[in-house]
Amino acid sequence: MTRIQRIADYLANIDNLPKIYATVSCLIFLICLCTIPLLNYHETQLYPKSFNPNSSLNPYDRGGFPFTEPAHIITQYPQYSPASGYVTAYLTPVSWFLANTTEHLGTTIVGHPGGILDEILYYTRGLDTIVEASIFFAAFAVASFLYRRSKK
Amino acid sequence: MFEQIHEQTLLLLPFGDIVHYLSGYTVILAAFAVMFLLLALVSLPERPIDIVFGTDGYYIKEIPVDIMKFQRFMALACGISTIGAITTGDIFNFTLFAIFIGILNIGIVAAVENKHVLDAAFSYGLVVMMATIPLFAGAATIIATCGTLSIGELVDTDATPLIAKLLILIGVFGEGMAPFYIGKTEITRAPGAPYILMIHVSSLLLFLRTIEIFLTV
Repeated sequence: MTRIQRIADYLANIDNLPKIYATVSCLIFLICLCTIPLLNYHETQLYPKSFNPNSSLNPYDRGGFPFTEPAHIITQYPQYSPASGYVTAYLTPVSWFLANTTEHLGTTIVGHPGGILDEILYYTRGLDTIVEASIFFAAFAVASFLYRRSKK
Repeated sequence: MFEQIHEQTLLLLPFGDIVHYLSGYTVILAAFAVMFLLLALVSLPERPIDIVFGTDGYYIKEIPVDIMKFQRFMALACGISTIGAITTGDIFNFTLFAIFIGILNIGIVAAVENKHVLDAAFSYGLVVMMATIPLFAGAATIIATCGTLSIGELVDTDATPLIAKLLILIGVFGEGMAPFYIGKTEITRAPGAPYILMIHVSSLLLFLRTIEIFLTV
């Protein structure tokens, strides 16, 4: 076999597909890692990276009072999310108790009932959350279909 | 020339910060996806006929109703997520829709009871799972350097790093299975024409949309 035939023979085997893809991905990742110092950082960042270390709600302490005074929510297009900021400050009784007794409530966003309703996650970028949940749903649908078929 | 694609929006559909839009280019892709979605909705699966060579004998492959229903559900979801990937105006949302398309493509072929097809689908599934890493890495690079994910804002900054585009491109390669026609031919040996063909349609449209994003941002 010539060299090109050997390469074509290797590529024709479907079992080698993940290996080839992983190798190509690793090469591209290496190139990207080497060029990271060349990236230029834009000063106009949508989400500034700063928080108040004294608050027990950090990094989700955005101020405001639930349903009356809107919290400070940064949005890309404020005209498309007019009601932003009214829910973020709401805490369930359990979360309110935890916020007053511990220092780390903000780090347990889903670890307790209620939690902090992050409006960037659920409102201004809410479609992302919906699509993520749909991906899980589709994956579980496939897995349950295959499991039930294997039991027949 | 391509900078004007985003400005000539025919339709804006805001979901908070994620603004879906249709330009003169993507409206054609969306119309194609809608057409195929309706086709998968109304049509029954094909019944492939194998003729025994040299005789009058033939086999008809029947698709069981439960497999047909599952494939149809997955094909319809794949069409809807393709429309989402075509119309979305946000890089991270686009990567999510691309991953969604990959998972649903696996779902379409998973129902087939053919060893060769399932072997190919398994290899392709590994590629789909690996492809999520470069996709998310590309979106993360864009949010970290440019500070925004909206395509409309990225047009104004005009400095999307090349490596982010490269990462998203290799991720879409994995999800859309485009350079892996060897995997595709194995998979499309499966019977069930309108649903199986949704794999081709979704990956093709995903690529055309990726080209539009890369020429715009």
